[in-house]
Amino acid sequence: MIDLHALHAAFGMLFSSGTPWLIVVPGIVIGLVFGAIPGLQISMAMAVFLPMTLYMDFMHAMLFLTAIFTGGSFGGAIPAILMNIPGTSTCIATAFDGYPMARKGEHNTALGIALGASCLGELFGYLLLFMLISTVSELVLHVGPAEMTVVIIWGITLIGSLSSGNLLKGLISGLIGILISTIGYGEAGVARGTFGSAYLLDGVPAVPAMIGMFAASELFRLARSDFLIADSEKRVVSMRQILAGLRRTLSYPIVVLRGSLIGVFVGAVPGVGSSVSNLLSYMVTQRRDKHPESYGQGNPKGVVASESANSSSEGGSMATLLALGIPGGGATAVMLAAFAMHNITGGPQFIREQTDVVYAIIIANFSQAFLLIGLGLVCIPLLANVVKVPMNYLVPSVLAMAVFGAFGLTGDLSGPLTVLIFSLLGWLFKRFDYSVPAAVIGILLGSMAEDQVIYLYQISGGQWTYILERPVAIIILLLLVASLFGNKLLRLLQRKISV
Amino acid sequence: MADLLVLLLLLGLVAMYGIDAVRASTHILNLILVLPVMIVIAVLCAAQFVIDLKDFRQAPPPREPVRQVLPVMLLFAAYVLSLQWLGFDVGTFAFLCIFLWLHGERRLRWLLAYSICFAAVTTLLFAYMLPYPMPMLIFDTAY
Repeated sequence: MIDLHALHAAFGMLFSSGTPWLIVVPGIVIGLVFGAIPGLQISMAMAVFLPMTLYMDFMHAMLFLTAIFTGGSFGGAIPAILMNIPGTSTCIATAFDGYPMARKGEHNTALGIALGASCLGELFGYLLLFMLISTVSELVLHVGPAEMTVVIIWGITLIGSLSSGNLLKGLISGLIGILISTIGYGEAGVARGTFGSAYLLDGVPAVPAMIGMFAASELFRLARSDFLIADSEKRVVSMRQILAGLRRTLSYPIVVLRGSLIGVFVGAVPGVGSSVSNLLSYMVTQRRDKHPESYGQGNPKGVVASESANSSSEGGSMATLLALGIPGGGATAVMLAAFAMHNITGGPQFIREQTDVVYAIIIANFSQAFLLIGLGLVCIPLLANVVKVPMNYLVPSVLAMAVFGAFGLTGDLSGPLTVLIFSLLGWLFKRFDYSVPAAVIGILLGSMAEDQVIYLYQISGGQWTYILERPVAIIILLLLVASLFGNKLLRLLQRKISV
Repeated sequence: MADLLVLLLLLGLVAMYGIDAVRASTHILNLILVLPVMIVIAVLCAAQFVIDLKDFRQAPPPREPVRQVLPVMLLFAAYVLSLQWLGFDVGTFAFLCIFLWLHGERRLRWLLAYSICFAAVTTLLFAYMLPYPMPMLIFDTAY
């Protein structure tokens, strides 16, 4: 139920002075910059600027931090589209179709679409949060290892869709990715596959591995080209095309809505969040499309699916934070620190007693989605100029940035070394038709899968039928089956009816 | 032939990891995911091996010559491996200079100016932003 008194008070808090909006604009810009530089994470930006929030009241502090979150959610799409570098795991799926679009000279459209989908995803995410905050928080309490295992299995089935024509090699790549993610200390307390290297005790850092496989391996190949886009006539930065891309997002309402729903519900699950939601949304969109083979070749729906899901998962993770006081990921963990700095504990009591503040945060985020359009439109033309840079300058600069970013993620030279090793592996995979995206998804989901399978084993006492005793798990399982075989079943039914 | 060798290499690496994982512990929590995944990989590799063997006499698909990519790979490897000694400041500068020279940039002043500016700006930006010290040769390691 919506508390109208609290809603009125929330409007008063936000619009009685201009202060909240003076905080939001720099927050979005900081997020955009940190998101756009590979290796600088949103959580890092929030942590760096967290001390500033000490001098703000709680609501302003939350507005500032969520503004960084909002800017960063879209910022990550820029290098993913222009350079095939998903700076964070939340925009892996954006690179699948965004980068091929850029290579075809459709970089302006792709960036416009990503901006539009991000803003719509953000709007839907917070709208759902506004209406369903208590329902979502109750639902999250019913999500245990059984449900998580099914969600992760759903994500892993994406491997099959990304096999680019060779299913066997795609599956081998994905499974090798899963094995890579299990290197290092596991839940059993023993180290595996480290071969004596102290760097590997904590496992293979996923984001540097992803940067190496996706970006560095591609840059090796591109070093001989003159420009990112071969056709000089297409090498332009056009505000008209960016705006056309922005409008084009509206022609995919189902993809946006589906991505936003997946984003909110998966984003609300602690520890999973947008890393999985963008992949799930992409997979479901691809499976339900009439031309699934066009994905990975520059299909704009792929960008919409990924960006709407990763942006709306912000709303989902905020639901868990506000209603339960549980952070869903790095960014919300920093927000939890802001809660602590202001002596506030998230949870049902907080929502009951400070409903006006909760509503103010949500309404401010609606406005942030519109502000993001304006600020994004200012920043995109500047950043899109990267297509005009000759490859002999772009390749070493991006490779160096990848190395700096990887160091930033791990804090030691294991990050750059991971980029190097995985760039060679990525090159080898591409050369011999193994699927790089499938391997990256394996790396990303493998360790989560192992943790959840272990928890499930411990809770169920080894009885796997335990999954079938969990209603939420059964619902997710049915959704998984529907996403895998729904189209085929429908076609079969239609054929039978017509006969 | 090369396809078969790559497949065997991947299978060999998986087997090495498997042996190491079993040696580390045979407890179910250690192998609950790793072992089934390895078995599936072995089965899939066997199937792919049969396919590759059938195609053995066919001409391989056209691929980019390795010698075109090798210099970039080696230079990148040298850059990453030398960071410990050269630091991010000098290492990045040297990497950019050599790369640009190898790829046809002969305007020496421009080459040096770009390499110095890029290396200095990026190194200082990250050094200020990151909470841990970075290996450096000229700049301070922590800010």
